[in-house]
Amino acid sequence: MRQAYRIISVYTGDLSGACSALYELGGMTVMHDPSGCNSTYNTHDEIRWYDQDSLIYISGLNDLDAVMGNDDKLIEDITVAAEQTNPRFIALANSPIPYLNGTDFEGIARVLEADTGLPVFYIPTNGMHDYVRGGGLALERLAEKLLKRDQKNREERKGTEEENKGGKIRVNVLGMTPLDFAATSSVSSIRRILSEAGMEVTSCWAMGDGLDDLLKAPEADVNLVVSSLGMRAAVYLKETFGIPSVFGLPAEGIRQEVLCDLKRAAEDKKDRFPCRDLRGKQQEGEKVLLIGEPVTMGSLAAVLEKKRDCSVRLVCPTEDCEAFMAEGDMLTRGEEEVEKAFRAGEYVIADPLYQPIVPASCPFVPLPHLAFSGRIFLKDMPDLFGDLSGILPVTGR
Amino acid sequence: MIRLAIYGKGGIGKSTVAANLSMAFAQKGFRVLQIGCDPKADSTLLLREGRPLPSVMDLVRKKEPFGLSDMVMEGREGIFCAEAGGPLPGLGCAGRGIITALEKLEEMGVYQECRPDIVLYDVLGDVVCGGFAMPMRQGYADHVYVVTSGENMSVYAAANICTAVNNFKKRGYADLGGLILNRRRESGEEVRVKELAEDFDTVILGDIRRSLLIPEAEEKGQTLLEYAPESPEAGEIRALSEAILKQNHLF
Repeated sequence: MRQAYRIISVYTGDLSGACSALYELGGMTVMHDPSGCNSTYNTHDEIRWYDQDSLIYISGLNDLDAVMGNDDKLIEDITVAAEQTNPRFIALANSPIPYLNGTDFEGIARVLEADTGLPVFYIPTNGMHDYVRGGGLALERLAEKLLKRDQKNREERKGTEEENKGGKIRVNVLGMTPLDFAATSSVSSIRRILSEAGMEVTSCWAMGDGLDDLLKAPEADVNLVVSSLGMRAAVYLKETFGIPSVFGLPAEGIRQEVLCDLKRAAEDKKDRFPCRDLRGKQQEGEKVLLIGEPVTMGSLAAVLEKKRDCSVRLVCPTEDCEAFMAEGDMLTRGEEEVEKAFRAGEYVIADPLYQPIVPASCPFVPLPHLAFSGRIFLKDMPDLFGDLSGILPVTGR
Repeated sequence: MIRLAIYGKGGIGKSTVAANLSMAFAQKGFRVLQIGCDPKADSTLLLREGRPLPSVMDLVRKKEPFGLSDMVMEGREGIFCAEAGGPLPGLGCAGRGIITALEKLEEMGVYQECRPDIVLYDVLGDVVCGGFAMPMRQGYADHVYVVTSGENMSVYAAANICTAVNNFKKRGYADLGGLILNRRRESGEEVRVKELAEDFDTVILGDIRRSLLIPEAEEKGQTLLEYAPESPEAGEIRALSEAILKQNHLF
């Protein structure tokens, strides 16, 4: 069956991706739906739900409101909620029912903005895409809405900041959500790595930093995109502020290469793709398959190819990822295609929920991924910026 | 680029007015794109010389790759033609179909590729759901023109459309450009349409007489401006086109 899933799980949906990306920023994220999308989000996808407050607003859309198009009720309810909670912004996320009846979120956003005086933006999710798409759209729309207000003074600011920054390269980290970086040490690790390299984190989109930090993003020299979820915001920052991006993890094994790319990009303003371009050097050895989001997994593949005697192919089941694929990598849609891809490998490194469709003869290395298996293996999720020897144990021939 | 949407009761002559307006604009040297927003996909029939044009939703439905050139055809006088289309009658959601089709056209760069001076959305009947309000949402039409006769049902439908336009003002939608009187009788219709215009603080931009030349032209697969260019009726359409151009600072 094409594009169907019988045994394995599916990736976190676009709505959860959007909520996750905005979770720590002090805004109110509105899920306009009957509540099904919300229960999936807080039960499976959001590990911060019980430890950290965030304004997630569920409209509780019912059949009559959907049929009658009671947008005024939605607007009034959100306005009241905003008065009570004082969010920094309001983000409206679409879901399957309002998507199908064509609810005009852009128009509703304009009305809300006029009524509340807050920045309001629309995230065109629809419940039919994955977290990379949803989270990516959320960060892009946030950037479009909130950064453009401040962009005209960038050149002026830059002059004065040159004196203050002490020659340090300023970096925006883009695409950080627990969905790809569930280990609690991830944020401090990436900050430490950049700091030790003489760089400074201007903003981290969007873990560990608040909205005020993100608003400084136009001051940065370069973006480090650590997941394809950050790609759309990176494109916006490039087009609007001329900030180039480096796509890859400064993971142990390729750290110097990625940091070098950051320095070069900051100088020549050109994008670089170490998650893709550091790969393909090793054609011999065991055939290892890595499955997942391609900026993180592509970087790990590059580490493996460099440190071990093996050739790695990436199996990519997430959306909006074509730009990060190296030669021989596979885009897959549906369980059947993933299963077929697994037959070509001698080793498989993937989330444990993939194991039931991995051939029994094929050694399997579990690499839990929150966006695929939720909280089940949370305690085993590694810090991808830390020591990788335990999670990439493939040995040479 | 100016963007106009033509609304009105079903059967009142929107597509005929739209095609003739497109022709009038094109004959004045403007690049024109007409997009039919109706599951029947017959808005641009008079501009295509009988050549078939698959609707956007027909192409989407096939689930095969397609490009802009599959969706848009250059008709007479270089008028670009596209038809949104929709689900089969009695099935699915026509309004959602219009939304999907307009988004698809935009996604594939129809405005950048065709570089029209004037975009004309010819929209089915009444504003029965969100999908049919899509052409008046921000990013699409700037002005809405409502075609009506002086007959009760037509005036009623026109009033509904004008109300919808007013209701959506806060959302930044298109404004009401005016009414187009498309007469069904020899005389006596203007009083009611004038009242309607006053009720909505708008104007009657055009007055097109009832004429047998119009169905004759359609029989030949032509617009009236081509079939009987010197007729008084053609003059009325040209006058309407000039009033619209003037309103949009293009004349």
